[in-house]
Amino acid sequence: MNRRFGALVALVVVCACAELLAGRGLSPSVVADVLGGGGDATERHIVFQLRLPRLLVALGAGACLGVAGLVLQSALRNPLAGPEVTGVTPGAVLGAVTATGLGLAGWESPLAVVVAACVGGCTGATLLWLLAGRGRGDPEQTALHGVLVSAVLGGLTAMVLLVAPGELGSVVQWLVGTTEGRVWQHWHLLWPWALAWGAAAWLLAGPLTLLRCGDELAAAAGLATGRARSLALLCAVALTAGAVAAVGALGFVGLLVPHVAVAVFGADLRVSLPGSALVGAAVVCGSDAAAQLLSRLLAAALDFGRLTLPVGALTTCLGAALLMVVVRRAPSRTF
Amino acid sequence: MNAPPATEAAADDVTTRGRRAVPWQLPLLVSLVAVASGCALSLGTPYVQLYRLPGALRDADSTLAGIVVTELRLPRLVLALAAGACLGAAGLVLQEALRNPLAIPEMLGVSSGAAFGVAAPLVLAVSIPVAVQPLLAIGGAVLGGGLTLLAAGLGRSPSAVLLTGAAVAAALQAALLVLMVMADQLDLQLIYRYLLGSLSARTWDDVTGLWPWLLVAVPALVLCAPVLSVLRLGDEDAEALGVRAQRARLAALAIAIVLIAPVTAVCGPVAWVGFLAPHLARRLNPGATAVGWLPWSAAWGAVVVAVADIPARLALVPVETPVGAWTALLGVPAGVALLRSGRRRPTAPRRAAGSVAVSLEPPGPRGSEPSPETPGHGHRQEPGGEPGWAAEAGEAR
Repeated sequence: MNRRFGALVALVVVCACAELLAGRGLSPSVVADVLGGGGDATERHIVFQLRLPRLLVALGAGACLGVAGLVLQSALRNPLAGPEVTGVTPGAVLGAVTATGLGLAGWESPLAVVVAACVGGCTGATLLWLLAGRGRGDPEQTALHGVLVSAVLGGLTAMVLLVAPGELGSVVQWLVGTTEGRVWQHWHLLWPWALAWGAAAWLLAGPLTLLRCGDELAAAAGLATGRARSLALLCAVALTAGAVAAVGALGFVGLLVPHVAVAVFGADLRVSLPGSALVGAAVVCGSDAAAQLLSRLLAAALDFGRLTLPVGALTTCLGAALLMVVVRRAPSRTF
Repeated sequence: MNAPPATEAAADDVTTRGRRAVPWQLPLLVSLVAVASGCALSLGTPYVQLYRLPGALRDADSTLAGIVVTELRLPRLVLALAAGACLGAAGLVLQEALRNPLAIPEMLGVSSGAAFGVAAPLVLAVSIPVAVQPLLAIGGAVLGGGLTLLAAGLGRSPSAVLLTGAAVAAALQAALLVLMVMADQLDLQLIYRYLLGSLSARTWDDVTGLWPWLLVAVPALVLCAPVLSVLRLGDEDAEALGVRAQRARLAALAIAIVLIAPVTAVCGPVAWVGFLAPHLARRLNPGATAVGWLPWSAAWGAVVVAVADIPARLALVPVETPVGAWTALLGVPAGVALLRSGRRRPTAPRRAAGSVAVSLEPPGPRGSEPSPETPGHGHRQEPGGEPGWAAEAGEAR
């Protein structure tokens, strides 16, 4: 197990280095020079004020999404429950978009965006909670209602965007998820939030492992299933809202990272929860580096002046491919 | 799938055969269409009183009201009805063919594929004639649907197809969003509106573009409907009855694509119609089979889109809102209400529709839950366990 953790940490470090070196503007040797203490003011600014916070935000958001997804899937006992299908991510996007559209928040006031996203995420989750009603113990119904809630919230987001069309350009980035232009301010908002709720999730790891075994078994082991599940859901909502406020709705990270983590570390959440955080960080960070490289290659190949591939597009494609592999590998199963 | 649930479904058919359709269905449908048409033709700027409508229709070219009604409002209404009917029928075909009540065009990559086919040339500034657009949409829809079927494999369970479809749809959405990030502000507005499904500023040209496709699709639908009701019994029973299940399913999917793609080319992916209309049809005709549901599903689809288009046009005057946003906003609460009322009365008509899903997922203890003692096996649980897609089975029980 320790060896696996070691390998994963190494992977995260590799991804982080790739992310630091990947951007356009500075060659790798210059970056190494700057990190060694050299470089002129512009180069230092690029590395320390732009690339480093971007790297940290990508790592933090990935970790948040990974943990949130695993907590959700364990609490609802539904392998298809990610933050994307439980109304949390669409709600957070709606909150952020509404705040931006009404002029309450903007790129210059990240705190307001985080708060709005959290409020939106909680609204989405509450809506799901109310809608599911008596059936909320049943994972299938929760998932179905989650899809419906997501659709409603998506429609509302569309309405807001149409009422405030000027914001469309900047908000589309949010809908895909991008780490473009994240600065220290974002990171300072993200890390205390992520740390607090991550610690809460870690404390819940034992009860969640029991919940995975089924309600009857958990109750027989002396767990108050309802309370544990509510706390876990709150944790997941808060983590997702923080990540969405920081980077936008990264597709499929919260849905598929937990599967990878469980495959590597087993179903004991005390081990696989940190594992899921590491996998999520590696995935988002690595995809961001890959997206930057790809957009440079594509810009060169297509002769576009400037082309930015948002990291969310890459994670979605990656996630889709992974999901297909998962489906293909289980031949006789009904889902 | 296997024998016991299938016979259960068959037995269920026998018990529901006696149930009558809801008697007020036809009057309700007709009155809704009439009200929607009246509103669509008379409301707006200029306001044309109802009693002046015949006059306006008669001298179409001479008065302002006549021109507005015949050249702007009438084609829009016709388009709404036609698009809704196509989407409703396609939704029913998909759901019956895949035997999954949650199989909707948006979830199979068909809608997003078609939208991608239309939006890509717009962003890349390739000018194409209007007549080619449906072809591009069909190309995209075939790409999306074909990718889904290929990736899922043809001999697979319907829910595997559905899950793969969700993945394909998400990937296509991501591609679309990349296009949107690349686009400039004006194109972005256009594409965004289109992607939500919009009927604004559509003319008779758009309507006439639909007819050839309908001419192909309608006879095919009529031919395929009886096979669909056999497919409903499950693959093995259908084969025993002489239906080549895979081939029939493939044909049904092709028909659905031909129905959806032209509509998507003209007015974008109008969400949730393909979900709402078949469910309304099933609820109101519990005793019927696929053949009986098909016309009703088409009719309800037409009503849904026509009704949703009125607030889309008038709610936030002078800004037009996309009709797809309204079908999502109005349709989803309606869907939730349908599901809930179905749950409250366990013997309600939904049983008929639910039995399909029941046969997907045999009741009983769910296996393959990972135990904490066996790490490494935990991941095998991931696709199994609790299917969100077969959730309706749980509703009906």
